[in-house]
Amino acid sequence: MAEPSANAANIEKIVESVDSLKADFEDHRYICSDQIATAVYLAYHLRKPILIEGPPGVGKTELAKTTAEMFELPLIRLQCYEGLDEAKAIYEWKYGKQLLYTQVLKETLDEVLQGAKGFAESVNRLHEFGDIFFSEEFLEPRPLMKALKEENGCVLLIDEVDKSDHEFESLLLEMLSDFQVSIPEIGTVKAAAEPPMVFLTSNNTREISDALKRRCLHLYIPFPDTDLEQRIIHARVPEIPPALQKQLVTFIQQLRDMDLKKVPAISETIDWARTLVLLHTESLDPQLVRDTLNVILKFQEDIENVDAEITTLTSNALKK
Amino acid sequence: MDRTLTNFIRALRNSEVRISTAETLDAFNAVELVGYEDKEFLRRTLSLVLPKTADEKETFENCFDQFFSFEDVRGERHEGGDGAEAGDAEGEESGGDGEGGGAGGESQPGQKASGGKGKAKKKKKNSLIEEEEEEDLGPGAMSEPGSELGQLLMNNSKVELSVAMAAAGEAVDLRSIQVFTQKGLYTRKIMEEMGLGQLNREIGDLKAARSIPERRLGQELKRRRDWLREQVRDYVEKQFLLHADAEGKRLREDLLKRVKLSNVEHRSFRLIQEIVFKMAKKLAALHSRRKKVFKRGALNVPRTLRHNMSYDGAIFDLHWKSVKVDRPKVFAICDVSGSVANYARFMLMFLYSLEEVMPKVRSFAFSSDLAEVTELFERNKIEDAIAKTLRDYSGGSTDYGQALTDFKKLCLDDVDNRTTIIILGDARNNYGDPKTEIMKELYDRCKRLIWLNPEPRNSWNVGDAEMKKYAAYCHQADECNSLMHLERVVGNLLRSVS
Repeated sequence: MAEPSANAANIEKIVESVDSLKADFEDHRYICSDQIATAVYLAYHLRKPILIEGPPGVGKTELAKTTAEMFELPLIRLQCYEGLDEAKAIYEWKYGKQLLYTQVLKETLDEVLQGAKGFAESVNRLHEFGDIFFSEEFLEPRPLMKALKEENGCVLLIDEVDKSDHEFESLLLEMLSDFQVSIPEIGTVKAAAEPPMVFLTSNNTREISDALKRRCLHLYIPFPDTDLEQRIIHARVPEIPPALQKQLVTFIQQLRDMDLKKVPAISETIDWARTLVLLHTESLDPQLVRDTLNVILKFQEDIENVDAEITTLTSNALKK
Repeated sequence: MDRTLTNFIRALRNSEVRISTAETLDAFNAVELVGYEDKEFLRRTLSLVLPKTADEKETFENCFDQFFSFEDVRGERHEGGDGAEAGDAEGEESGGDGEGGGAGGESQPGQKASGGKGKAKKKKKNSLIEEEEEEDLGPGAMSEPGSELGQLLMNNSKVELSVAMAAAGEAVDLRSIQVFTQKGLYTRKIMEEMGLGQLNREIGDLKAARSIPERRLGQELKRRRDWLREQVRDYVEKQFLLHADAEGKRLREDLLKRVKLSNVEHRSFRLIQEIVFKMAKKLAALHSRRKKVFKRGALNVPRTLRHNMSYDGAIFDLHWKSVKVDRPKVFAICDVSGSVANYARFMLMFLYSLEEVMPKVRSFAFSSDLAEVTELFERNKIEDAIAKTLRDYSGGSTDYGQALTDFKKLCLDDVDNRTTIIILGDARNNYGDPKTEIMKELYDRCKRLIWLNPEPRNSWNVGDAEMKKYAAYCHQADECNSLMHLERVVGNLLRSVS
């Protein structure tokens, strides 16, 4: 990692304008729409978290990762799941260490308390030592806390926030609006000079609460249009022949218009492109598509549905 | 303060995008950062800050287009290249920048004398406009208009015109427009505010004048006045859509919520559907939280041990047993015979719109024989499924006894003490055997048995209706014939479990 100041200047340069951001994303092989670049631009300048929603596989998590890479900042990731609580997300006391220390220090205790008369005095003596056991020494920082303590800023990715419980969402609020967390025994931990850039992703399995939404910029990433998708494929799988790339994207775009249980996302398109390159394909043909259909479709029902129309779809893709 | 933005936010709120004060402040900060110059950039920025769901984004896009586009004032008289570019930049300013515009408008009188100079050059371009039939005076010199509005018009300055228009709109309080019949009124008010009277007088004078340049001017002014009226009408129309249409819609919705569902006309179905979804969404949001009930005092031994392993087995981090409250398991049995089909349609729509909070709805349709239609709803869109259900099962005369027997055969075993059964029907059994013993069986087994009857309570026991017998075996029997009723019933249902 570069010197902090140099890095900061570097970041400043990248986020100078939306266009420079876009260009830099492209250098890191992340092709983004203007909307996405604008979101990162605003998030940086307004110091606001971004809540990213969209169908699975359109590059929500990837955006955070690429941003971290681009800014040369560490990426701290918190994967949400049902039952995630503050002990796993913010901090936990190192109970084991505390216990161990009390055991070890048992003998010393006698020395400390030597000569103390009566219960009150003993307690007073103990008080002089302060709350040693509940200090930062014994604190196990979890992702959120870690992100706050990162000196030069970092990228914090809170993945699939919709999977977590409501309680956890409320827990996030303090973090998101003020970049701080409160720990009863110690006090409030504020972010270092450079607050983290926060990305939250959601797959829309449930509605995120208004309170959380209010504190974030809201970015919706839809499926890309033909043009953008072609560029993405080109960036991610550069070795693919241009003709095939075009056919492939056209084919996928047709699938998205069909009534499927799960339509293929960008990640599937990329997988498919890699598969086809691996098979040294030059051009789509129905048999090949049939054989590799399981790369892009994940439900047997969908595969059967599409199977019936493969010939038409392929010839459509070839025509364009 | 930035009026344009607040007005825009107001328009958004009117179109049912929820925007909090905090978000308004964010929007201000964001706009400060990006400025108004680049319209696309502005759109992208605001769409990140203001709308927070995919639906709201769509509304936002429409609203943005309406609000920030301003009819190219010279739309009909093309003047080369500056149309699109200038239109963007100026549109934003004139969209609602009332205060600034107002000041500009007021200061006009002082400039009367100085305004004349630039016009000589513009006259050539005016000949492009098709001449009216009236009287061909040919191209040539024209006199200078005297009135303020006349000058503005002849000036061909669309910026000033639109600013003046917005200012006038502000002055007559266009934003408070309520119903569409007021459109004409407001158009006239704005025209008057802009100085129509003066202009009309001038046109009259000019027409009666002797010299040809003056008469030519008179014609030209008249043409431009008519064109201006069009523009103002458009402007009013747009403002109406932005500010008032929502009011009207709310009114219609309120009305539809109360109207009897069987009386709903076919063309209102779409709107009703929208309302149903909206109601369902509200209920879902309210109840989407699955509560845990802690059995205070019951220790969760395995969990506690597991958690305290790392503390050397010293147990001081206790975990209690908790139970997640179950989602209601709902069986909906719908009479889909002609008389009540419409009610069934909307109730099914309601139940299935609540998928998020009631994932376990099983539905049954009958008129004489009963069949399960759950699968239909899983496979198809709600509307299609309903249409298919009604098509396939609505024939035949109603036989509640037969339907209950079928239901018993089909899934009495699945009914347990967590099941809520909702029966929708008028209980008109065509004097057949009501089979109340099955009702009793259901009543004993299930958690709740709710009967919704679309008929008013006082006709429940008239004629062939068996409501009296059935009601005895219901936990709850309600009249239900409007969306309001439906919402209440479903709301109660959700409340009782979560």
